Amino acid sequence: MSQPLSRESRGFPDYELPRLVRLTDNLHGAAFFLMKLLPARHMLDRAAADGRLKPGGTICETTSGTFGLALAMLAAVRGYKLILVSDPAIDEHLHKRLLELGVTLEIVKKPYEIGGFQTARLDRLRAALEANPGSFCPSQYGNADNPRAYAEVAEQIAERLGHVDCLVGTVGSGGSMSGIARFLRHLNPDLHVIGVDTPNSVVFGQPDGKRLLRGLGNSLVPPNVDHRQFDEIHWVGAAEAFLATRRLHQQHALYQGGTSGAAYLVADWWARTHPDRKVVTLFPDEGHRYVASIYNDDWLAALPGWTGVLPEAPQPVAHPSDVRPSWSSYRWDRRTLDEVLAAGTPVARDLAEAA
Amino acid sequence: MRLGTRGNQRKEHGLGQVNGHHGEILQGIFPDDAGRLHRGLVTLPCNIVSSTAVFRPAPGNLVTVPDDKLKAAEAARLTLDSLGLHDQGGHLTVESTIPVGLGMGSSTADVVAAIRAVADAHGAALGADEVARLAVRAETASDSIMHGDLAVLFAQREGIVLEHLGPALPPLEVLSVNTAPGALVDTVKQPPADYDDWEIQAFRPLRGMLRRAIRTGDAALLGRVATASARISQRHLPKPAFEEINAIAASTGALGIQVAHSGTVVGLLFDPRNPATVRRVAEAAARLDTIGLPPALHFRTDAAEVRHVA
Repeated sequence: MSQPLSRESRGFPDYELPRLVRLTDNLHGAAFFLMKLLPARHMLDRAAADGRLKPGGTICETTSGTFGLALAMLAAVRGYKLILVSDPAIDEHLHKRLLELGVTLEIVKKPYEIGGFQTARLDRLRAALEANPGSFCPSQYGNADNPRAYAEVAEQIAERLGHVDCLVGTVGSGGSMSGIARFLRHLNPDLHVIGVDTPNSVVFGQPDGKRLLRGLGNSLVPPNVDHRQFDEIHWVGAAEAFLATRRLHQQHALYQGGTSGAAYLVADWWARTHPDRKVVTLFPDEGHRYVASIYNDDWLAALPGWTGVLPEAPQPVAHPSDVRPSWSSYRWDRRTLDEVLAAGTPVARDLAEAA
Repeated sequence: MRLGTRGNQRKEHGLGQVNGHHGEILQGIFPDDAGRLHRGLVTLPCNIVSSTAVFRPAPGNLVTVPDDKLKAAEAARLTLDSLGLHDQGGHLTVESTIPVGLGMGSSTADVVAAIRAVADAHGAALGADEVARLAVRAETASDSIMHGDLAVLFAQREGIVLEHLGPALPPLEVLSVNTAPGALVDTVKQPPADYDDWEIQAFRPLRGMLRRAIRTGDAALLGRVATASARISQRHLPKPAFEEINAIAASTGALGIQVAHSGTVVGLLFDPRNPATVRRVAEAAARLDTIGLPPALHFRTDAAEVRHVA
């Protein structure tokens, strides 16, 4: 049965799936080493299988986050050339690590007047693809192999935890939450799904703006976000997320990043208010990249809006445009983004109620 | 093969018997350990129907009664050949209580009974894996009934076990409905289901939950897996009144439903360990009657447990 491992099939199978940690009676955390390894590997496998990615070929993508790191790790062991387009906001340690892994990193220096860095990066990506004929672009925001990759996580959850009542996780590309939610709901139509976003992210209807909390939310709405999977949306601010990240470490000894803290804050609240329901929440990456920030008291104290106090519960809002800078929640009810936005702005609702 | 002293151990006649099944708990496409994809299924055994074959070895031709049991005849021929008895013939009779065309394994049961009868007549002990290989050669795709009550993920077009899931499924009480009485599905000639990319991935969590259901004896989890698999099957071989049956199952406290993925039967699954089941089954049967689908069969799958006690 044993066959030599082809270069194209090399990867990190034991690093792809999370460790499942029971935090309380009814709350389970799925703690990833680097969550993006799984969709990155799956997208490359599928592209290699149908010829979009040739042995020794070139991969081009725009990312300044952990998806780039996952691609870089796979490209290094599989012998692909990788061109990543990013902007000056990229973390300096990540930057060095990508270079060490042999990535060609193209940093877009200036934002466009219209569309900002996002559009400037997409332009540079297009140029890179044209300059490298036959290169493959995974495009994680729109590639359906991204959410489909998470069937393996759903398999692990179903095998280890059996029946699950509630899934909580942050939303960025839409892959993990939209993917896992749909697979688990196939086994439990009543699954309650909570998406965690951050103020000034457009994914669930906020106006675009500067965000201090990275790794969730987005300035555009990725096609891979399946809005109809979500029963509830929570918007968590940076200070609260970082404080919750520290609490996750202090109380449960899980050393994770800031998106994990945001997910933990919401999942812990829901699990406490629904003690007879089984909850699982996703912790996307480890804390080592945040030693100088989230895990540094001085850095935290200098944050705008820092209070050092974690709210007990979210502030429910009547519409996404009512969201404040701090933890808010909204009943999404498995609607599309258009359906939610068409439900009216607060002013329109007031007028309707007055009529 | 196994036959050391060929001919010397030949009996006057050999006997082969095998139970039918009631469709599948799970059917789809599954990766093996190396990541290669295989079509596979997990069968729901039904031990109240069976097929029995008797084989009397004789020189010359192979004669089968009734003579339309062509797959069984082919299987008997392949078994003789595999035993090195190329010139040997005989007289094969097959009798079955398994309804034909409903997806209850009638064809495979005839084939397996024939293989066992021929082997028995020649003093050969064939393991389930060998029987499966012969069965697949005789009929292209084969059910996993040669494995008895063992819970296996079986590659029906290769005759191999992809995964041993456990000694048996958790016990179930099954209320059986034939959704298309009179309309026979040619279960053998059907093209394999053309699953899309999402469905192929969705079989993974179903398999994961099934592992847990069998390991922990959790019939409720098994019901969830079966219902999810039935939903995918509905896109490929739709059952009439599927939603109505599903609603009746849900409202009468059933654990879920399962279907024959290449047939017409649907099973409402109940927990035999729950004292409310007697009442719930009666209520479900009455409700099914009102939509014109009176249940034709009612059985339990815990025969394996009873055997363990005895």
